[in-house]
Amino acid sequence: MTGAARAARLGPWAQELRALLRRWYLQLVRERAHLVLTLCQPAFWLVFFGLGVGRLVDRATVGTDDYTAFILPGVIGSTVIGSAISGAVPLLWDKETGYLHKLLSMPIHRGSILLSRLLFQVAVTGVQVAFILLVAVVLGVRVATGFAGLLLVSLVAALLTVALTAAFLALAHHGPGHNTFFTVSGFAALPLLLASNAFVPLAAMPRWMAAVARLNPLTYANEASRQLVLGGWHPRLVGYLAGLSLFAAACVAAAYLAFRKQAGGAS
Amino acid sequence: MTGEAITTTGLGRAFGDRHAVRDLHLQVPTGQVMGLLGPNGAGKTTTIRMLTTLLAPTSGSARVAGLDVRRYPARARGHIGYVPQEKGVRHLLTGRESAEIEADLHHIPRRDRDRRVTEVLDLLGLLPDADRLVSEYSGGLQRRLDLACGLLHRPDVLILDEPTLGLDVPSRRQVWEHVRQLRDGGGTVLLATNYLDEADALCDRVTILDRGREVVTGTPAELKRKVGADVVVVRTRQPDRLGRALTGLPWVRQVKVVDADVSVFVGDAPSALAAIMAAARRHDVAVLRATYERPTLDDVFVHFTGHAAAGVP
Repeated sequence: MTGAARAARLGPWAQELRALLRRWYLQLVRERAHLVLTLCQPAFWLVFFGLGVGRLVDRATVGTDDYTAFILPGVIGSTVIGSAISGAVPLLWDKETGYLHKLLSMPIHRGSILLSRLLFQVAVTGVQVAFILLVAVVLGVRVATGFAGLLLVSLVAALLTVALTAAFLALAHHGPGHNTFFTVSGFAALPLLLASNAFVPLAAMPRWMAAVARLNPLTYANEASRQLVLGGWHPRLVGYLAGLSLFAAACVAAAYLAFRKQAGGAS
Repeated sequence: MTGEAITTTGLGRAFGDRHAVRDLHLQVPTGQVMGLLGPNGAGKTTTIRMLTTLLAPTSGSARVAGLDVRRYPARARGHIGYVPQEKGVRHLLTGRESAEIEADLHHIPRRDRDRRVTEVLDLLGLLPDADRLVSEYSGGLQRRLDLACGLLHRPDVLILDEPTLGLDVPSRRQVWEHVRQLRDGGGTVLLATNYLDEADALCDRVTILDRGREVVTGTPAELKRKVGADVVVVRTRQPDRLGRALTGLPWVRQVKVVDADVSVFVGDAPSALAAIMAAARRHDVAVLRATYERPTLDDVFVHFTGHAAAGVP
């Protein structure tokens, strides 16, 4: 394919993606209160939970004096879970109001709606994570791997966002309605967060709980981020990142298949 | 484009054992307004979902602008302007932003986009409100915005699903006026409605659907002629008794009983009225009200389906 032909094929696709992203963006920024609270909430975890509970925590259990630094990956993880759930809500409303039908009757690629939501949610999470990291630095957290490490922490958050958002998008799209969506997502959020090593290291858990936590993708994201924040560069990181990438790819593929199936035919 | 904008051949869709639509042979000629008429659950929306490629047919086939919707769904979608009955969530966008976004989703080239958006907003009389948030729009304004968005890409056929559902009378008339303008401009429209007066006012041809099947197709005038010249409607507490008394009389073409109303199809209503009153007295039937009218599509509907259409505005 020549460059011009490729541009001609990519043109409409880029145009529809831009248009969808613009729609998501305008809808988000016009809900000011939602926007501000979304941004600020994670900081409360760091300040009140980190500084407060940190005083009760035994250094030998968590392996560091700096509990705020220890829970930093967990706070990011909890933010990602919240972000992934709220990332599926616009699709849920589009489905329930019938606008999704209209979108699907347009000559756009079936995957564009999914892709635009994922890109948009990664951007939203990116801003949230940047803000969390800024608050953490202000609170005195020093990152072992420096600025490059922070970028990788953001990448880990992005991969987890893609995976979980895809899963919740599939639920929003495939589920029977908003009651099921909010019940399931609300129920899933807590075990996803607490049955992981977000606030307690695996080694300090009862053995059965650690076994459950090892099945939780959030645990691996936390391990990777914690390694970067507290430990330092280590070959293990490659494995974590590869695993998370595969998990994200699998979630996206599953969501895409669910989309195509429901949409009634190939694009 | 000439010929048929939409053709379906034996089109059907089953959900398990339930046949929402079966064996539908529909033709929408280019340049006409075709009405798809029937009560809720008749299969109108299912038909539209198949034509807009949102739902795969389980039998038969459909072509839009000559393209088979199963084989070329994406290309077929490019020829359709679809205005669903639900209002979309875009309350946090202005009317102009909504239209711009939909123009982009229809791949209207960027250099033409803003001009085209202004054109359709102007056509529907929306320019004064274009930069207000859609959340501030009345129902009628929202509906006109939906219509404007449906026209952005100059579709070969515009599919309107219940375009005036829930609108007040002035907004309804305004939407009608715009659909008439489209028709006069040579546009092709498939309009699903359960309002018979709407079909009567707008459609060149009408297909009546009932329980997923085509009941009859024709121009509103043809269909009314088939029903008979006049119909006398008698409201009574004993509709069945009156119905039985009148059935089979030589000057009575047909009798239909719907709730408390007995519809008597006759050649000449004024003379029939006296004869009906006499028959009522003979059979001791108390008449509450008697009116007669020229046939409407309501009568056509009752005639061909044996029951009343659900939607009355």
